[in-house]
Amino acid sequence: MFPSKTQKPLVEVRGLSVDMPLAGGKDGLRIVDNIDFSIAVGERVALVGESGSGKSVTARAVMRLDPVARLSGKIDFEGRDLLTLSEKEMRHYRGSSIAMVFQDPMSFLDPLMTIGDQVAETLRIRGIGRVEARKRALSVLDELGVDRAAERLGSYPHEFSGGMRQRVVLAMALVGEPKLLIADEPTTALDVRVQDQVLDLLDDVSTRRGLAVLFITHDLGVVAGFAERVMVMYSGRIVEDGDVHAVFKDPKHPYTRGLIRAVPRIDQDLEELYAIPGAPPAPMARPAGCPFNPRCSDAFDRCRAELPAVLPVTGERVACHLHDRKGA
Amino acid sequence: MTGLRVYSWFLLRRLGLAALTLWGLASLVFLMVKLMPGDEAQMAAGADASAVQIEAVRERLGLDAPVIMQYLGFLGRILRGDFGTSNVTLQPVLSDLSVVLPSTFELVFFAMVINLTLAIPTGIVAAYRSGRTFDTICRIAAVTLGGMPAFWLALVLQYVLGSLWRVVPISGQASFGMAAPVVTGAPTLDAVVAGNGAAFIDALHHLILPAAVLAILFSTQIFRALRTGLLGVLKSDFIMAVRAKGASSSRMLVRHALPNSLNPVLTLSGTQAGAMIGSAVLVETVFARKGIGAYMFNAVAQKDTFAVLGSVMFIGAVVCIMNLLVDIAQLLVDPRIRSAQFGGSRA
Repeated sequence: MFPSKTQKPLVEVRGLSVDMPLAGGKDGLRIVDNIDFSIAVGERVALVGESGSGKSVTARAVMRLDPVARLSGKIDFEGRDLLTLSEKEMRHYRGSSIAMVFQDPMSFLDPLMTIGDQVAETLRIRGIGRVEARKRALSVLDELGVDRAAERLGSYPHEFSGGMRQRVVLAMALVGEPKLLIADEPTTALDVRVQDQVLDLLDDVSTRRGLAVLFITHDLGVVAGFAERVMVMYSGRIVEDGDVHAVFKDPKHPYTRGLIRAVPRIDQDLEELYAIPGAPPAPMARPAGCPFNPRCSDAFDRCRAELPAVLPVTGERVACHLHDRKGA
Repeated sequence: MTGLRVYSWFLLRRLGLAALTLWGLASLVFLMVKLMPGDEAQMAAGADASAVQIEAVRERLGLDAPVIMQYLGFLGRILRGDFGTSNVTLQPVLSDLSVVLPSTFELVFFAMVINLTLAIPTGIVAAYRSGRTFDTICRIAAVTLGGMPAFWLALVLQYVLGSLWRVVPISGQASFGMAAPVVTGAPTLDAVVAGNGAAFIDALHHLILPAAVLAILFSTQIFRALRTGLLGVLKSDFIMAVRAKGASSSRMLVRHALPNSLNPVLTLSGTQAGAMIGSAVLVETVFARKGIGAYMFNAVAQKDTFAVLGSVMFIGAVVCIMNLLVDIAQLLVDPRIRSAQFGGSRA
């Protein structure tokens, strides 16, 4: 049911929901709604969706990074449910078991601290001595191709270019030798050439270190070359989850189909680029039934009445009544 | 970076700027004298001087010369440290100031210490736990205390602490017969010089209330600046990145959030040190302390023009020096400002 390289899951997320508290109200706003997924050791999974689909919120939920978000469900990491840990216990997982790289490397670096100190900090927090931490920080920066790394440990973020900064952010994440790396749109803020460099680097590093990666992006073009599996998110739910090649070749969910059609292709001469009509619903105004039904050309009565369950469809998982009807 | 040369060049430029500012202030002071109603020679000679005496003073002070010559002469005298002579004490204003200033500096220094020790910890906790009870109490206190007139706060505290509860002396700088011999003019320092522990405690005891009055009003500003700054920084992306490394809240606050919100606090406390000397006029008068405030108050009351102008020039100079110190402090805290000033390398 879950296509993966090995059978042993590193993370297993069950029924995860994320509610954001609203000012004044006691009920939160449901941003992520009852999702299941798992990531195997060393597996690379892409989480794809439009802005506001809940992908970043999902990523932050796995690390419990947002102090105001209310999380429910289960996040099993190597046999322990992260949602039952105390904040102090959770800190031991952050940076050493699960690490994160972020979208805009400039705003995610402390402008007043040297690069060397920021990379070494992950280790210093864990009681590793100054000299040793610096040595390891340097070796990671070297590994990631920051040239003259030794001289530049004392430099500040503003003295680096965008691509170099992203390497520093990546070094910050890798220095604690995590098993899972969550990459939240790590290439979005970079120009195309640097994007490719960073992707190659990420590819390289995760292969060499056997690192599982949850790669969050809205750019399907980036997914195919990097991930083994792709999960498509729409309005807080996972609507399709399967092997990258299978999904690209034969997308099962109408939304995935739309996303793939919307990627511009060099071998097709089109008058106009395709775009899915309409816009994703706001979390407070989700339509009844399938949240995608107002934008879906294949929608029928049941789609407007009943929320489709996530069901297995030929080695994938899909949440769409079209496939449920066939299967039944 | 060729550190020392670059820093001394920066200092030189800033000192030049400070000198320009002081020149502007001196010109303004000169203009004030010229625009003030009444005859300067009459004022300098005193109220009961005869016509002959007034003319003699006019000639001695060069007030019969054209205004531009008077202006140049005025600047020249200031450069030589001559701020004129007080009509009341009959001493050069500069020597009067050197007698009263140490006491004011003592007051302002302690007020600054109380100010920052009050505002910084509360600001940090209020921002970190924003919206909770502690934050609400602090914000209400800041608005209430910050909105009180200094003299009123001084009187209330005098009444409650000094008169009702008798925990601190109501006024003065030392108990009768307790003061150490005057060396510097600042009672606490004098006690230290004399090695007199009892006198030191006594001087502190007298200092605490006026310093607290001065501090409370200013610390509400620092509190608000720090709280607002920290709230902004705590929402920023890099704080999330720090948390993602597994940092504890205290590490995140002290090592990352606080340094990034210090800039407005630095700027503000620099301005405040100057403003505190100005506010000392009220506090020193209410608490019957020696100092530039009390000196200025008497000077104004007795139309002692040169004493007032000298004090104004002096407070202006202190503000300039404080601004210079703030510029240097910011340079030390923020590498981006260093790069902007000195042209950093970019890779």
